[in-house]
Amino acid sequence: MNGTILKLAAQALLGRRRFWLLVALPLALIGLTVLIRALSSDPDAAWPMVSFLGFPLVLPLVAILAASSVLGPEVDDGSIVYLLAKPVSRHAVAISKWVVAWAATLVVGSLGVLVAALVAGGGSEAAGWLVAALVAGTTYSALFLALSAFTRHAVVVGLIFVLIWEGLAGGFLSGVAWLSIGQWGIQVGHAVSSELDAPVNLPWALLASLVVTVGGVWFAGDRLRSFALTGDE
Amino acid sequence: MSDRSGVIHDIGYRGYDGPREGTRSLVLSLYVTGLRHAFGLGRSGRSKVLPFLLLGLGTLPAVIVVGVVTFINFGSLPVSYAAYLSQIQMLVTLFAAAQAPVLVSRDLRHRSIVLYLARPLSPALFAVTRWASLASAILLFTVLPTLVLYVGGLLAGLDFGDETPIFLRSLALQVVLAAVLAGITGLISAWALRRGFAVVASIVVLIVVAGVVRIIQEICSYEDISTVGELAGLFSPWTLHNGLAVAWDAGGRAVVELHDAWPVVYLATALVVWAACVALLVRRFVKVGSR
Amino acid sequence: MSDLVLDKVSRWFGNVVAVNDVTMTIGPGVTGLLGPNGAGKTTLMAMMAGFLAPSSGTVTLDGEPVWRHTDAYRLIGLVPERELSFGYLTGRQFVRANADLHRLPDAAGATERILEVVDMVEPSARRIDTYSKGMRQRVKIAAALVHDPTVLLLDEPFNGVDPRQRMHLMDLLRRLGDDGCTVLFSSHILEEVERLARHIEVVVSGRHAASGDFGAIRRLMTDRPVRYSITSSDDRALAAVLIARPAVQSVNLRPQGGLEVQVSDLGTFAADLAPLTRSHGLTLFELSPSDESLESVFAYLVDR
Repeated sequence: MNGTILKLAAQALLGRRRFWLLVALPLALIGLTVLIRALSSDPDAAWPMVSFLGFPLVLPLVAILAASSVLGPEVDDGSIVYLLAKPVSRHAVAISKWVVAWAATLVVGSLGVLVAALVAGGGSEAAGWLVAALVAGTTYSALFLALSAFTRHAVVVGLIFVLIWEGLAGGFLSGVAWLSIGQWGIQVGHAVSSELDAPVNLPWALLASLVVTVGGVWFAGDRLRSFALTGDE
Repeated sequence: MSDRSGVIHDIGYRGYDGPREGTRSLVLSLYVTGLRHAFGLGRSGRSKVLPFLLLGLGTLPAVIVVGVVTFINFGSLPVSYAAYLSQIQMLVTLFAAAQAPVLVSRDLRHRSIVLYLARPLSPALFAVTRWASLASAILLFTVLPTLVLYVGGLLAGLDFGDETPIFLRSLALQVVLAAVLAGITGLISAWALRRGFAVVASIVVLIVVAGVVRIIQEICSYEDISTVGELAGLFSPWTLHNGLAVAWDAGGRAVVELHDAWPVVYLATALVVWAACVALLVRRFVKVGSR
Repeated sequence: MSDLVLDKVSRWFGNVVAVNDVTMTIGPGVTGLLGPNGAGKTTLMAMMAGFLAPSSGTVTLDGEPVWRHTDAYRLIGLVPERELSFGYLTGRQFVRANADLHRLPDAAGATERILEVVDMVEPSARRIDTYSKGMRQRVKIAAALVHDPTVLLLDEPFNGVDPRQRMHLMDLLRRLGDDGCTVLFSSHILEEVERLARHIEVVVSGRHAASGDFGAIRRLMTDRPVRYSITSSDDRALAAVLIARPAVQSVNLRPQGGLEVQVSDLGTFAADLAPLTRSHGLTLFELSPSDESLESVFAYLVDR
């Protein structure tokens, strides 16, 4: 890890307009949950805000935005060479970038899910969702960082993964759960609160999350090791 | 000194003084190019992957539905036109969100828009043409699977007289839907010039908001307070489409049924949103083009 | 003192060959990498800077390959052609970050010193996105120099820099070269290279066309066959006189009047022409080279 890269990545994330989109998402989630809770007579009415919106949509969107903000633009326009033309291991660069994206995902995304869950009813179910969001947020941020290092269309590919693969395919084909970051998170959350589903099994969920996280960050570092500076398109 | 003079020699360049095509053909060719670019035609092989992948994913289930109808003799389509579209709304939205920056952001971001506008085409007309290309692309995207359903259904022996009016009504709604989607995603792409940012912003506005509306409507139908549900439906183009599709029998399904004058309100909202988006898009092009 | 050695280096992208079997050694002092646009200068630079793997051959710095070898950046300073997109940082913050990434013991001191060198102390508190093209260029150079590299690679460093700043930058590079730093800069402008570098490497269409002392290469370039168009008081008579000269390879009568003459050796021909015409009672109206562009010079070097 490298303190300077860490600082620069944090500045890249905080110093731009897109940061406001990043925080607006969970704020809107929490606001709407409060609204529903206030308007509805059913005490459980607000839970879908967490299970259908906060966890499967807001969290991965925050992770995509965070991961692509710390790496995407620099890879896109080639200015990352200023960071890479240094006697700093490229894996250290990747890890530092990931730590920033990861911290942003957890603080903005997972915390947003937790607050929404607390508003929706709290209790052990909220704790379950927090654990699920921490696990899935960690894995998402690593996967999307790897995508950002690999393709300029990282955001679109990431969205396809979340919306089409995890969303659509996950709705029709239950087997997709075995290859779904969100479902792994829910499985781990299930260990804390049985209110959450158990789509796969715990060892698989933990192992797969770990493999994707470590593998994703390592792959991002490996791509940076082979970063090629070419002319304009 | 008086003998210092200059002359531009005639080295054979000739001005063009033949017939010129009017604004109409200018707009037409810009429109056609834009429409082709939305599907990656005339661009690199890579930029064809995403639109055609999404189109394939959006049409494949329709083919499967037709296959099922052929083998098992249903009296009607198990998933009718508008309901099918709401099933693939994720794909349609992704297509609109991902391709809008292709048509709108680039010219603005690299300021090549100024070159276009140095030609005899007004910024307003340029912006509207861009919107029209995008809207047509989205329309093609939704028409293809519904057409597969319609033609396949007829070939499988569904009643022509039953299906045709439903199909035509769905087609009309698709025009409204495409117009609004193109307006919203186009406007977002004109504002957020980085592609990734624009795509995520469009997804938030279209998918996340639709999700919220849907949750609110579920709660309202459970609690039996239809007015709030009907009101909530105004906030997403998808619920506008689905609501109208049920109200006008275009083969849709919706959580909340529209009563009384609500269909008119829905249609009016769609038109207002569309007009506002196009107006703002025009304003943005005028502003950037004149800097 | 460092040597950058390219040994039989080729690089292709699909079926396009960008760099074709180039062998060269860049040593201390200022070297100019000259070539027309699209000649493969940027590709060569990228391979020298470790940002592109050669398809075949090796690029080594003091014996160590540069590709995938991050420690080489202790010695290398790189000024890419690409724009700086760290617009949200101030100039000082950006240079300081570069110093920190090199883990310099006195990063703050090194930052101030190098800002002074490139004459950027005053605007260094402003954000980079408010800078002009020339200021950005100087900040990029400051960032590349902050760790006192022994090899400095600059890709088109003078693009968009105003003449006064250009002089200043050239002075700076010349000083670095005199101090024993290996400075390599690329350019497609002959005059620019001429003013700065004694030693040049010429690449054309991905091939290594010439290398060595600038003066010697310039002479080789002038001694190439040259085409002239000449108009005189009596073209046919002049043609008869010219074709007898050994330096003249061909004479054509142009349909619109005048002669098209190809000579093998510019020096002798130019010296001979005036006395020759005078002695035959002819008058020269016009003498002009018909292919004196840099591209034709390059084309000659490659075709030879």
